Amino acid sequence: MLFVDKYEKLLDMIMDFDETVRFAAVTDENGQILWNSQRTGLKNIVSVSETKQTISRALHAWKENAGFKKYIGSGLYSIASYEKIKRITVPLDNGKLLFCTVNNEPLKLAINRRKSYGHLADMGKILSIVDFIKSQK
Amino acid sequence: MGRYEKVLNMLMDYDESIRLAIISNTSGNILWNSKRSDAKLNVPIAETKKALKRESEDWVDRCKAADRTALGAPLYHITSFEKTKRVTLPIDAFHLLFLSVDNTPMKNTKKKSYGRMVEMGKILSIVDFVNTFE
Repeated sequence: MLFVDKYEKLLDMIMDFDETVRFAAVTDENGQILWNSQRTGLKNIVSVSETKQTISRALHAWKENAGFKKYIGSGLYSIASYEKIKRITVPLDNGKLLFCTVNNEPLKLAINRRKSYGHLADMGKILSIVDFIKSQK
Repeated sequence: MGRYEKVLNMLMDYDESIRLAIISNTSGNILWNSKRSDAKLNVPIAETKKALKRESEDWVDRCKAADRTALGAPLYHITSFEKTKRVTLPIDAFHLLFLSVDNTPMKNTKKKSYGRMVEMGKILSIVDFVNTFE
């Protein structure tokens, strides 16, 4: 599979698996967005420049996290949860990074029962999609 | 017992997979901590202190980003490694909670496991509960 196909397929699969995924992108090791996919009909709640800053901070953190591999294994993912969205990063091959934002607004059903802190991000599913794409030649 | 010690005690009691709980100030300096007695820490404390410094700087950035945008309040941050999950969350305007949680997969997992789930709803509700006390 070509490099382009591989990461476009990753974004397609991520967007297809869960409608709460609003935006997904693959960046290079310098934070340049190489491929991205945005759910149609959704409006950005943060600017592109703000997203780029977030990606840059995440890449810096993952570079530092690489130093912990000998103690606690490889880094798998990070989630920054806000009231309205979750920002997820997953390190890919060759310094690339998967970045996605997921809707985190509480389900209406939860309002009547107890305080909700948002949606669960199905990281097992996201990581299995990433592993599947990594296994493609 | 102070509010912060109560948070640490409640968290350690609620989930045995929490190995270390720390409350730091916004500069990342450790103020209170609780380590599970039978747990061996995989990461040297000096490295944990460095991670806390970076996390605290990242939290300042996250809070500023939340002020500039419509993201809503920042709730928590998780970094998951193969063996450990690191969780950080602001307790109040001046303090951060840092948790190191065991992430080794359960033995009876049938397919590939990416570790254990951290029940953030429960952790956040403990923090909210303790914050109701002055």
